[in-house]
Amino acid sequence: MKNKSDTKEAPTISDDQEIDLSILLELGSIGAGHAATALSDVLQQPILIDVPKIHNVQAHLIPKFYNQHETSTTAVYLQLTDTYGCDILLMFEVTEAKKIAAMMTFASSIEELDPNMETSAINELTNILIGSFLTAISDFLGITLLPTIPQSTTDSFDAIIDSFLIRQSLLSENALIFETRFKRQGEDAKCILMIFPSRDLKELLAQKSKALIKI
Amino acid sequence: MFSLPAGYAPKNAITHLNGRESNAVLAFQRLDLAPCATMQADISSKVEEARVDMADMKVESKPVELLTSVGSCVAICLHDSIHKCGGLAHIMLPTSAVGLQEPLPSKFANTAVPALAKAIREISGKEARLSAKIAGGANMFANLKVDSLDIGAKNVKAVRASLVEHKIRLVGEDVGGLHGRRVSFNVASGVTIVRRYTGEIKEL
Repeated sequence: MKNKSDTKEAPTISDDQEIDLSILLELGSIGAGHAATALSDVLQQPILIDVPKIHNVQAHLIPKFYNQHETSTTAVYLQLTDTYGCDILLMFEVTEAKKIAAMMTFASSIEELDPNMETSAINELTNILIGSFLTAISDFLGITLLPTIPQSTTDSFDAIIDSFLIRQSLLSENALIFETRFKRQGEDAKCILMIFPSRDLKELLAQKSKALIKI
Repeated sequence: MFSLPAGYAPKNAITHLNGRESNAVLAFQRLDLAPCATMQADISSKVEEARVDMADMKVESKPVELLTSVGSCVAICLHDSIHKCGGLAHIMLPTSAVGLQEPLPSKFANTAVPALAKAIREISGKEARLSAKIAGGANMFANLKVDSLDIGAKNVKAVRASLVEHKIRLVGEDVGGLHGRRVSFNVASGVTIVRRYTGEIKEL
């Protein structure tokens, strides 16, 4: 008997989750579109975005999934300043970060770039990107989402990722990651935006969107 | 960086490293397989390498080099000096007392140490002489905290406590700091090379 009821319950839960995930994906796409526009405005050139993805996988499998173990990466980290936990991580390939910072500070080449200036420029860029991302979602749902001050570091990909996955794996076995990639025209995607929403935030977003579209 | 084949660092990343790093790293194009230090170069080129993923552990009796990258996580290397074997665990969290279902033993400090010791004893018999070396526990972002505590430091503390509890001697460590580390552990010799992202190379 028990087994029967289990099998009956299981699909409804996953259906619900699927709806929640597609809502998140849709919200993320709206945000990512706005962020890409903001980035394009700052850099004065076209920016393309890859179709956003949501990964809901076991946290410890993620480094394997990206397979970027020792790649040098510049990462900027923000959180949301409210009760709902959410980690936001923007990652650039090291030279891409330098190129973008040089463009923003009108340096003629990346060799000329002052390291402090680079950090500051990248933090500012993140503020603009994440700001427009969150504003788009806030406007859509009528809720306030405010990020903290960005903090950046340069390290190997795995080392950066593992610090974030620790927080995720404290809360649950699975990590929920929203991922989108930005690229300049004619180049590979060298910038990844990753958002790790907590279950609370995920539920809030799903609930608000459902109320809005009356599912 | 996102379209490169597995294990290859972009050329620019190498130039970037060169600015700060000793000559040891200059020569290697493939970071993933690069020996950690010049003194290890001739040995490492012959030794088979295996990567240990996050929350995973590997125990080997063959002379293999176990590799892993850690940030706030901790790499625990246990070596049996009698049977020349050992294992590496990449732990993520201090304790398994979070109430998760089906916890992986190699994910937590308090369960990884006994699991690793048990797996080594299965290979070497009961009279293993175990010693431990640990690396990791960095605090990568000052405001990334769990319950307002630095998770890296918590991990290190939990690993040390677990080693004491299971009477395993801690013979070397490289912990804390602000940057990630690449750890390579030679199972046969017990030599552990830790390379910080900033370029410092340390043999434990």
